[in-house]
Amino acid sequence: MHFIEEIQTRLSSYQILINEEDKKSYETDWRGRYQGDSLAVVFPKTIDEVIWTVQCCIKHNIKIVPQSGNTSLCGGSVPITSIPSIIINLSKLNQIREIDLDNNTITVESGVILGQLSDLALKNDRLFPLSMASEGSAQIGGVISTNAGGTAVIRYGTMRALVLGLEVVLPSGELWQGLTGLRKDNTGYDLKQLFIGAEGTLGIITAATLKLLPLPKTKEVYWATTNSVQHTVNVLNHLKKIIGDQICAFEIISSACLQLIKKHFPQLVLPHHEEGDWAILIELDYFNEPQDNHSIFMDCIEKGTVNDVAIAVNEQQRDHFWSIREHIPLAEKREGFSIKHDISLPISSIPQFILEAINEVSKLIPSVGNVCFGHLGDGNLHFNFTNPSQMTKEEFLSLTPTVNQIVYDLVYHFNGSLSAEHGIGQLKVNSLKKYKSQLELSLMQKIKYAIDPTNIMNPGKMLLPNND
Amino acid sequence: MKILVPVKRVLDYNIKPRAKSDGSGVELSGLKMAMNPFDEIALEEAVRLKEKNVATEVIAVSCGQVSSQDILRTALALGADRAILIETDYDLEPLAVAKCLAKLIDKEQPNLVICGKQAIDDDSNQTGQILAALLGWSQATFASKIEVTQDHLDVTREIDGGLETVHVSLPSVVTTDLRLNEPRFATLPNIMKAKKKPLETISAQSLQIDIAPRIRVLKVREPDPRPAGIKVDSVDTLIEKLKTDAKVIG
Repeated sequence: MHFIEEIQTRLSSYQILINEEDKKSYETDWRGRYQGDSLAVVFPKTIDEVIWTVQCCIKHNIKIVPQSGNTSLCGGSVPITSIPSIIINLSKLNQIREIDLDNNTITVESGVILGQLSDLALKNDRLFPLSMASEGSAQIGGVISTNAGGTAVIRYGTMRALVLGLEVVLPSGELWQGLTGLRKDNTGYDLKQLFIGAEGTLGIITAATLKLLPLPKTKEVYWATTNSVQHTVNVLNHLKKIIGDQICAFEIISSACLQLIKKHFPQLVLPHHEEGDWAILIELDYFNEPQDNHSIFMDCIEKGTVNDVAIAVNEQQRDHFWSIREHIPLAEKREGFSIKHDISLPISSIPQFILEAINEVSKLIPSVGNVCFGHLGDGNLHFNFTNPSQMTKEEFLSLTPTVNQIVYDLVYHFNGSLSAEHGIGQLKVNSLKKYKSQLELSLMQKIKYAIDPTNIMNPGKMLLPNND
Repeated sequence: MKILVPVKRVLDYNIKPRAKSDGSGVELSGLKMAMNPFDEIALEEAVRLKEKNVATEVIAVSCGQVSSQDILRTALALGADRAILIETDYDLEPLAVAKCLAKLIDKEQPNLVICGKQAIDDDSNQTGQILAALLGWSQATFASKIEVTQDHLDVTREIDGGLETVHVSLPSVVTTDLRLNEPRFATLPNIMKAKKKPLETISAQSLQIDIAPRIRVLKVREPDPRPAGIKVDSVDTLIEKLKTDAKVIG
């Protein structure tokens, strides 16, 4: 029997898309950079349907692209046309299986949207701390598969720190039932860690048991300005020393980002801003009444590390400060094309890195714009270059590999990483091959081969086959 | 010119108000309170007039419980020169607030009162107008622009379908609309400085006026919850449901 005919014997017609028009939005990545082709998009509603579909794919030698919210920034969740594959979209596998308030865990299926999970936690007087710009669309399966980060990593860690157990349909068609809610379990290799951040190359995560955390009572949001990146690092360390884990976010924003905000979103009034200033957005969480942190910031002002600090006195102003931060990528998009990097560095190297990287890229492209913002608290920078007005888009675009090389060479010179939180997907496959050591790549290949010997799961993403 | 700005402590704009379980009022305990947004705009306008050397002093006033001191401190951080709390445990109605303010104005002799057009908790939109009447002053409500010309004000008001500019003589009461200005943010150095600015407390009793409530609240309750929507699996069922349950088609 033909593959499509066979899946039609088990799944209802509304669970299978084969029409080109219908499939299209699932085959295109969020940034519109990749447009692949699939045989079909299927929407299983139960675990049994996922297992059955995988077995059917094995039988017909069809590759599988697992997909949840399809918000990957690296083309990780869309098919590659040259490889005959289907998309298994998990958005209909979206039940909340269990909330255990005494164990502080929640077990959800992969298609649950991150924002819904956070809301549900709040309703139960708990916190699910992972928060990022795509939380209204991103689904748990993908959030785990990319080990997503977001804005609260400095305090709560990445997704990896929040996953206690997983349920995975393996490339063999077997179901691994690992949904434990245990905080301690030293019984050999911690298998779930393999699937977290594996970008769907080792199996399909169908459900997860996640940590719930106590809900902080109050928040404070500050907007500080400084003269230099080194000062932002100094402020971070000063705060860490005095208030430690109350720091829930520490975001830095370069002057160029603020100029773009002023230009494209003039309604987003900046709390204060002088030419050349770096801004720091700081969120502090408290379980008790806030201590008097004002003196800590006043110290910074007296020492000259901080120029000025505004504090959000109501919820609206908190949202306003965050809104400025969240509008940077949108302002950047309106400004035109940019070459983007999501890098991670030891915090101590960041000031030197930024200086050298801008310097080197400016030698190649005079008057290139640099847009730098990110989660300084985690050493994660979004480090992008914008198209200078005197250069055509095509010319600028053609320099992407050279710019990437300059940036990544420096990143690795400072012992950093070329992907802090977005993953590898299709976008960075070749860069990964270039910058990861032979030994590491070979270990990764061996793990991939041990679990998925026929390379059925998300081929062409993250790792290239051995002989490639 | 001396400007008086009344400010009110209300439930934060971003918090969804809930009725108390006994129906006696709106639940406020443990929730974030903030300055009424229209009053922030009023204060900002007064501070800007001072920065333009039009005004010489800006006084922020609040009527209510001791807890209102926190928004007065915010007002001081945002640029008010001094603050006065008229303290009472009564739940004040607009008339009572206007009476308190009128008494204080007798003493302070400001030339201009700028206040929010309404507070976002009770939405009364009365205090400014009652105050102008009690004082016998001119009034200009819902201001979206204020220009001072010697002893007069040109106030642009937002009205249905356009703008109206009124010319009023000082002293005057002006109430602010949303688009008058964009209030500034409180900075830490200013918050620290505000701690040293004078904040005076006057007991409402000492003003010897009748501020007892005229209105008794019988019950506060939330609207009935909307029944949850349902999903139907076919167009036929949808049409059927629209006919029989929703009764929106015949």
